[in-house]
Amino acid sequence: MNSFLTALFSGTAQGAIYALVSLGLVLVWRGAGIVNFAQMGQAMFTTYIASQLIQHNYSYWSAFVIALVSGAVLGALVDLGLMRPLTSRKNSQLLNSQSMRTTIPVIASLGILGVLKALAGILWAGEERGFPSPVAPNAIKIGSTNLAITGFDLFVIGVVFLTLVLTTIFFTKTGMGLAMRASALNPEVTRLSGIKVGSVRTLGWAISGTASSLAGLLVTPRTNLSPNTLDLLLIIGFTAAVVGGLSSLAGSVLGGFILGYVISFVNVYSAPENVFIAILAFLLLALFIRPQGILGSKEVRNV
Amino acid sequence: MLEITDLVTEFDSVKALNGITFQAKPGLITTVIGANGAGKSTLLRTISGLERPTTGSIKWFDQELTHKSVEAIVRSGIAQVPEGHAVISQLSVAENIELGGLFRRRIARGDLAIATREVYELFPILYERRNEPAGSLSGGERQMLAISRALVSRPKLLLLDEPSLGLAPLISAQIINIVNQLCRSTGLTVLLVEQNANTALAVADHGILLSLGKVVADLPAKIMIADSSLRAAYLGY
Repeated sequence: MNSFLTALFSGTAQGAIYALVSLGLVLVWRGAGIVNFAQMGQAMFTTYIASQLIQHNYSYWSAFVIALVSGAVLGALVDLGLMRPLTSRKNSQLLNSQSMRTTIPVIASLGILGVLKALAGILWAGEERGFPSPVAPNAIKIGSTNLAITGFDLFVIGVVFLTLVLTTIFFTKTGMGLAMRASALNPEVTRLSGIKVGSVRTLGWAISGTASSLAGLLVTPRTNLSPNTLDLLLIIGFTAAVVGGLSSLAGSVLGGFILGYVISFVNVYSAPENVFIAILAFLLLALFIRPQGILGSKEVRNV
Repeated sequence: MLEITDLVTEFDSVKALNGITFQAKPGLITTVIGANGAGKSTLLRTISGLERPTTGSIKWFDQELTHKSVEAIVRSGIAQVPEGHAVISQLSVAENIELGGLFRRRIARGDLAIATREVYELFPILYERRNEPAGSLSGGERQMLAISRALVSRPKLLLLDEPSLGLAPLISAQIINIVNQLCRSTGLTVLLVEQNANTALAVADHGILLSLGKVVADLPAKIMIADSSLRAAYLGY
């Protein structure tokens, strides 16, 4: 019973982080049609910024907020500085073919990932360092019994839950949220409604940057911080996004949590070294049963 | 007044529009007719900024539209209802309508509410189905929704791309009639692209006949509808 609860709680806490990563990936995918491989590089970079600030005696919370803001700025910069000029080039032979138009930005995102890792190496010597958590990582006690959940787990679940609620309100209740959904679904009709689809897309990059920056802040107290720590998170987040159906925001979150449970149950009931096989098997199984993802919709082509 | 002068739009050096010149007078319905591939849709897409012209100019009264962005053109009062009942199927009916007025929600919140009420009065069926996804609507209702989305932006010039395409004759007549009434009662200028020449000419004030990217006739609608040789030569009936 106790190991079941351990798996359940740690799965929820891990799943919450995967959900954030997956959400960030899907936001950019829906808006721009790009799988952003630089996403966790951006998160790594902003977490280093937070870590630097904390070392220079800033409080955890001010570093936390500054990291989130830099996540947004970095995301917007990637779009404005690289993706937009890359995809809007007219009369380029290379960009005339559809396959190159979708491939080039993905390769470019790998380039950004490389640059960010190199920069982190230059600026912070690429050292592995710890990252603090605002709450004690001890198990919560009721009387003298240890519960299977730590204060930090609760903190992670709470922060992610709050983020998801705010994101949902933003997308369903605000005009800007409607503009973002519309731009992703049908850019042409949205432009014909007088909405600047380019700016909306940049906002998508910024929100994605913030979400992944938050994921970085929440995962590093457990894993430590180095230029390569977050690579694994991208793979899991991407799997979650695919399982959830790349085009669905709710699906991406659901996929994140499901993957969290898969990983944590395999960890508890099997062995940690089986986690990767489990992820792969789960991905294949999910794609086999529902190729469009849990909440993804089949692409309908009008002829 | 919409003034199109020597407009050329090319796709891979094929001239879809090959030097188009005509004018659409304010408060009237001007219809652009022609066979498939005559360049009708390209003309509307060039006016609304979705396609870039190689040469020529598009003017709406004193405003030069030729190199403005799509969003800027919409914001200056020119709304296009694209071909194929273009609504966003995954969004609700109400959200599709809201989308049309989103860009002016800060400057004209009060008027937006009025404009929304007006389109619901114009198309009561949309009000009944406002919470359903637009994808569940019939073809005619989708066309009504696409027109409503354009109307809440309070356009002065409405560009309609084949509103009757794929609709039953009765429904398409109903939609064309509503557009006609709108034009007469509000002074809206309408540029109506149609393949169904008879329906369009019946309500229009002026007709422009396109063939292979060129204007081959520019006549009052009444005269064009009576000219059977013109129709036989360019429309095939």
